[in-house]
Amino acid sequence: MPDNWGFVFAAYGLAAVVLALYWRFLVRREKELDDAGDVRRELGQAGAPAHAQTEPSSRSPLP
Amino acid sequence: MRRLLGGVTVAGLVAGLVMAFGVAPREATQGNVQRIMYLHVPSVWVAYLAFVVVLVCSVVYLVRRTEGADQLAHASAEVGVLFTGITIATGSIWGKPTWGTWWTWDARLTTVSILFVMYLGYLLLRGMIEDRERGARFAAVLGIVAAFNIPLVHFSVLWWRTLHQPPSLMKPGGAAMPDVIKYALLVNFAAFTLLYVYFVTRRARLLRLEAEAEA
Repeated sequence: MPDNWGFVFAAYGLAAVVLALYWRFLVRREKELDDAGDVRRELGQAGAPAHAQTEPSSRSPLP
Repeated sequence: MRRLLGGVTVAGLVAGLVMAFGVAPREATQGNVQRIMYLHVPSVWVAYLAFVVVLVCSVVYLVRRTEGADQLAHASAEVGVLFTGITIATGSIWGKPTWGTWWTWDARLTTVSILFVMYLGYLLLRGMIEDRERGARFAAVLGIVAAFNIPLVHFSVLWWRTLHQPPSLMKPGGAAMPDVIKYALLVNFAAFTLLYVYFVTRRARLLRLEAEAEA
């Protein structure tokens, strides 16, 4: 029986490419979500009031 | 912890390659093309494992409604589909020089392709339903039903007359092969199992982050 190394390398090469692509997808998506989480946290902090605001109903009209 | 698991997985895969190409001998009948088995058989083992995890997590989700179980089932199904695809592709590449054909509608090949399509459908179903809770519930039911195909795939070579050879490792009565080939397979089983755990933990974390971002 001939050795058919071409088939052996094709099988291992294909599996390596598929697994590497999936790993890259996981890493990239994780980075995107981590970055988006950081932005949300920063926006949350920036949007927080420096001092307490009064309720609109308790404010008196300007003279 | 994740880096440690990643490092151990890479070391396991390198050990598996060394066993497959450096330690295991050239098979007398098939020649070197038999080395594809050190990739093909562990891939189908991981697919079985992944779909059994989907089954268990689906039952847990239906009973307790824990989101973690649903995310684990989703992650495991995705990785299972990936490894089933690798199993089919590598089996086909092995089949051409050995059987003289890339594909035949043999019982094993047919049942495994049905398994692949069923779990592909499972992933599509999850993507199609917008209501997260409803999608998780439907997917859990499909995850349980689809698992009935796993023993059908495994025992198809014993129940029907097939071109595919009967199981040589995972069979009643123990493995019928030289020790060096058995150990090469076992090292690759361990390496692929680690790879499965690594992928599933990362994917489950991604699903949790996605759920948090949507909330």
